[in-house]
This record gives sequence, C-alpha cells and structure tokens, in this order.
Amino acid sequence: MLEVRQLNKIYPGGIHALKDVTFTVEEGEFLVLIGLSGSGKSTLLRCINRLVEPTSGQVIWNGVDITAASPAELRHIRRQIGMIFQQFNLVKRLPVITNVLTGRLGYVSPWRSLFNYWTPEERRMAMQNLERVGIADQAWKRADELSGGQQQRVAIARALMQNPKLILADEPVASLDPATSHSVMKYILELNRRDGITVICSLHFLSLARQYGTRIIALRDGHIVFDGKPEEIDDRRFKEIYGEDAVEVEIR
Amino acid sequence: MNNQSGPSIQRPFSPVRFVRNLAVAILAVVVYVYGWQVTEINLQTLVQGVGDIRPLVEDLLNPQVFERDKQVVRLRVPFPIPCPPDYVPQPATYKGARMDIEPACGEAEEVVVTLRNGRPNTLARVRWGFPIGTDQIVTQAATDDQGNLRVRFQRPEPALGGLEGEHRVEITMEWEEGPLRISDTLKTVVDKMVETVFLALMATTFGVIFALPVSFLGARNLMTTTLWGTVTYYLVRLVFNILRSVETLIWAVIFVVWVGIGPFAGVMALTVHSIAALAKLYSEAIESIDPGPIEAITATGASRLQTVIYAVIPQVIPPFIAFTIYRWDINVRMSTVVGLVGGGGIGYILIQYINLLQYRQAAVAMWAIVIVVSAMDYLSGYIRERVV
Repeated sequence: MLEVRQLNKIYPGGIHALKDVTFTVEEGEFLVLIGLSGSGKSTLLRCINRLVEPTSGQVIWNGVDITAASPAELRHIRRQIGMIFQQFNLVKRLPVITNVLTGRLGYVSPWRSLFNYWTPEERRMAMQNLERVGIADQAWKRADELSGGQQQRVAIARALMQNPKLILADEPVASLDPATSHSVMKYILELNRRDGITVICSLHFLSLARQYGTRIIALRDGHIVFDGKPEEIDDRRFKEIYGEDAVEVEIR
Repeated sequence: MNNQSGPSIQRPFSPVRFVRNLAVAILAVVVYVYGWQVTEINLQTLVQGVGDIRPLVEDLLNPQVFERDKQVVRLRVPFPIPCPPDYVPQPATYKGARMDIEPACGEAEEVVVTLRNGRPNTLARVRWGFPIGTDQIVTQAATDDQGNLRVRFQRPEPALGGLEGEHRVEITMEWEEGPLRISDTLKTVVDKMVETVFLALMATTFGVIFALPVSFLGARNLMTTTLWGTVTYYLVRLVFNILRSVETLIWAVIFVVWVGIGPFAGVMALTVHSIAALAKLYSEAIESIDPGPIEAITATGASRLQTVIYAVIPQVIPPFIAFTIYRWDINVRMSTVVGLVGGGGIGYILIQYINLLQYRQAAVAMWAIVIVVSAMDYLSGYIRERVV
C-alpha cells in the first residue's frame, strides 16, 4: 500500500539525512523504525506525509505519488494518514475535545472552521474516540492539565478522527515512563490489530520494537541497515545498527 | 610550594595585553573628557541655579485647583510734561478711594503718589505710562490698615520716544474675594484629560485592528514556506521598520499639517506608530510559538487557514493581550506629548500655559498627567495579571 523509492533528503545545512531509502509497506503491518538519534527516523516519517519535503525519490500511496501531489491532493492524502508525536503536539490552551476535533479538519470547510463550528455527529465521534482511549471524562479540561500519558492518548484520539488507513508514530513513548509507555503502545497495537490500520512507528528501545513490531527497519546514518522480522536481530545485527559499544537495555 | 612546579596561579604577564588595556583606558578617558566638555556639563550652575527654580517649584506644588473671584481696582491720573499753564491737578477717585500725585506735572526728578481709602492691607502696583503707549511698573507696596498708601519714586525715563507729552500714573490693586470654587483651569484640564485618554483608546484600537491581520504576514515561521510568502514577509517587515523608525512626534507634526490641529491628528500619529509597533510584537509572538501543534494539525490534512486558526491563534492570545495593554499604556503617556505639537489632548494646553508662564495652571495639567498615567499604569498591570 505504501512504497518508498530511492528517497533522499538533504537539509539546507548540508546534512544528508536519508540516503536512497527504499522499502514497501503492506496493509496491516506494524512496522517499527529503529536507529540511533539522528539516524533519519523522524525525517523518514515526515517525508511520507511531506511535513518535510524530500529532496529526491518517490513515496507512492495506493498508486498515487505523494511527492508529486498538488497542495489540494496532498491535504486529501494527509487526512487518511494519522500522525502521533513524541511531544504529543496538542494545542495546550484548548480543551481536550477541541484538540480531538481538530483531527477532523481535513474533512470540513475552512469557512466553518472560522467560527469553530462542529456538527453534533463530529462531537459524538470525538467523544467515542476519547472513550476508546479511556479519557472521555477529561473532555472539557484544558489539554495541558492532563498527564503525559493522557495527552498522548488525546493525540491518538485526534488521529482516529481522521479515519486513518495509516498511522505514523514518531517516538510516541519517548517522553513517557515505562509503565505509561506500554499502555500507550497497547492502544496503538489495538488500532493495528482490531481496526486493521497500518502503523509505522519509530522507537528508541529495541525491546519495545521486538514486543510490538511485526517487522523492523533499522536506519543508520540515513541508510537502511536492516529490514526483517524482529527475531532476526541478533547480537551481530544489533551492533551493526547501534554501533560496537552499544549494550541492549530492556524496557518491561 | 615550588614555583617551578605547575602553572602559576597568577596570569602570566603579557606586554601586548598590557599595552592594549592601557590604550583602551586612555581612549575611555579621552572620550569621557570630550563628552563632558561638548555637552557643557557644569555642576556649578546646577548648584547656583537652585534659587532660580524656587518660584517655579512653588508654583508646581501649588496648582491652581481652586480659586476665588478676582477683584481689580484701577486709579489713573494724567501727568503732562512739561506743565501746561494754569494746570489743575486731577486726582482720580473710585468707590471712595482717592489717588493724588505730587508734583502733578513737569520734569520732576522724584514723584510722590498717595492713596487714601483704598482696600486695607492689599498690594498696590504703581505703573508709569509713557506718551507712546508703553508702560512699566515703577514700584509696589501694600496699603496700611486704613487702606492708605504713600510712596516716593524716581520718575522713569522713556526708553523710546520723546519726553514731552501726556504721561500717566496708575495704581492697580488686585485681590481675591468670595468663596473658594473649582478653578476654570481644572475644568479645562479635566476636559482635555478625558480627550487624552480617549485619544489613546482610539489609537490603540485602530492599531490593533490593523496590526492583527498584518502581523501574520510578518511572521517568519508562517510565511517563509513559499517563495511569495517570503517576498511578502520581507516587504511587510520593511514597512513596519520604516513606520516604526519615525517617532510619534514626527507623525504628529505630519498629521497636524495633513488633517489640521486637534485630537484627530494625535489619534492618527499614535495609530501609525501603534500599528508598526504592535505588528512587530505580534509577529514575534507568532514566531516564538511551539511549532509542534502546527505540524500536528498540518498532518491532519488541514488547510493553512485552519492550521492558523487552531494551532497558531490559541497560542498567541495571551501574548497578544499583554502587548496590547502595554501599548495602551504607552499611548496614554504619548498622548500627553503629541499635544505639544498640536495633536490635541492635555499636552496642547500644557504647552500654552508654559509659554504664557502660567506655571500654577501648568501645574494642574502636570499633576493631572501624573495621576492619570500612574492610574493607567496600575490598571494595565492589574488587567494583565488577571487576563494573562
């Protein structure tokens, strides 16, 4: 369903973040991206929905070239791709429910947004999605009153408002403690298993990647250095990905 | 303990650094000595001049808030030079008071003026009027308990024109009578102060109305994503900087010529400066927001307008309110100044009082400014605390 071909990204500063990255994602996969900080995971995720403009290469989404899409087409594609961030990226001063509703913006006319008008169906849908992530009772609090784990669940509910076919998750649990990390990862896993939403998720910890991923792609200095099943990563591969001095730590 | 072992705890002496520091020190001395001379700093005059400002300070501390009705009595006798033949002195009378002069005419060196039955214990000024119409105060003295006065003085020589002709001698007594009432000055000042506050309010409001939309065009993070956006950004920034670099007083002078003397010119001057200053502050507030929500909302497929509405505006509301109140504060202070060049408001009458040397009236205006500006300062601080 998603095909990344020969993707390159060179930032204006001259940093070559992605080098000829090529892979294909099948529907229903839970693909985990691993690699050191600065290996290109975030850039790769952002090149898929063009939050970052790739320098060259193509991203094909169900037969449509995202990299060649016009602004209107791009918005149309983006609304089918949910995104979750390390820092949650909620609008802190707005109520939780409004943050969830913003996930629907790709479907509503800009003129309606001028007056912050949402239909009752949209509001019901937002409440349902908040219930799914277990924080419907927090709907009218300000987003910044919630804990980190709760904020990330709001972000998941926001992504769900898009009825996404694909979710891009950029280090979704890197700002959370281990226990909260698992609870958030379980919600993402549930979307993948129950709703059949394809997930591409970058993670720091290999233990989390092994636990949740159906497939792992490892990046090092912008290159793909591994692409395969989680159980195929042994000590030798691990050192290839993380460097000679690395020691695997587990997060339970 | 040994000096040879390890680096010295003293920084090693470097001749180059020593010469450089010395040069900097000498240069600094030269600069300040020249600065002292060129600005004509003179501490001696500062001390000596203290006496000169005493009446001024007294007037400032004694603003004319209340006043009584003013009564004036004026008596005038003619004084021809030289004496006409058979001249009969003509004493002046007014409500029982009588003024005489001795001698009554001619080129006398000394003259004696007497007043009888005047108002007791009141200051009387004696003026000498010359044939060409000019006059000067020759002496002044207070009447005694019976209202009598007798003063002797040198006859003044006219500075211009000939000596011959009809001179005049005049006694003036001024005093205040009746109950205290609020002075006309205070009424005028209050009237103008209200004008001043509204002048600031209108200018701030217009400033906000124009600066709000433009500020988004001047925000680097929103505009520099496309080529046309970048061009617009630099153009808008350039216009802000030009408008802001011209001081409010200069704008006031321009608008006084454009729309005429009065508060409207002041409103326009403050508005122009407010637009530029607010737009810059607003733009900077937009530039310093958290980019995360913008990224997140863009990723949902929202348009640029929707992204601004949901990711940018909620984040900039608190700083916008803070900057607006701050600007209002500045505008209240500036609106007292634009009047100096004809922009209406309290400054307009303040400069008139000062030019007419009516310091007690000027004091009323100055105290009004102090009270209103500090009240506004306090009020804006209070609002800022509550809202932000």
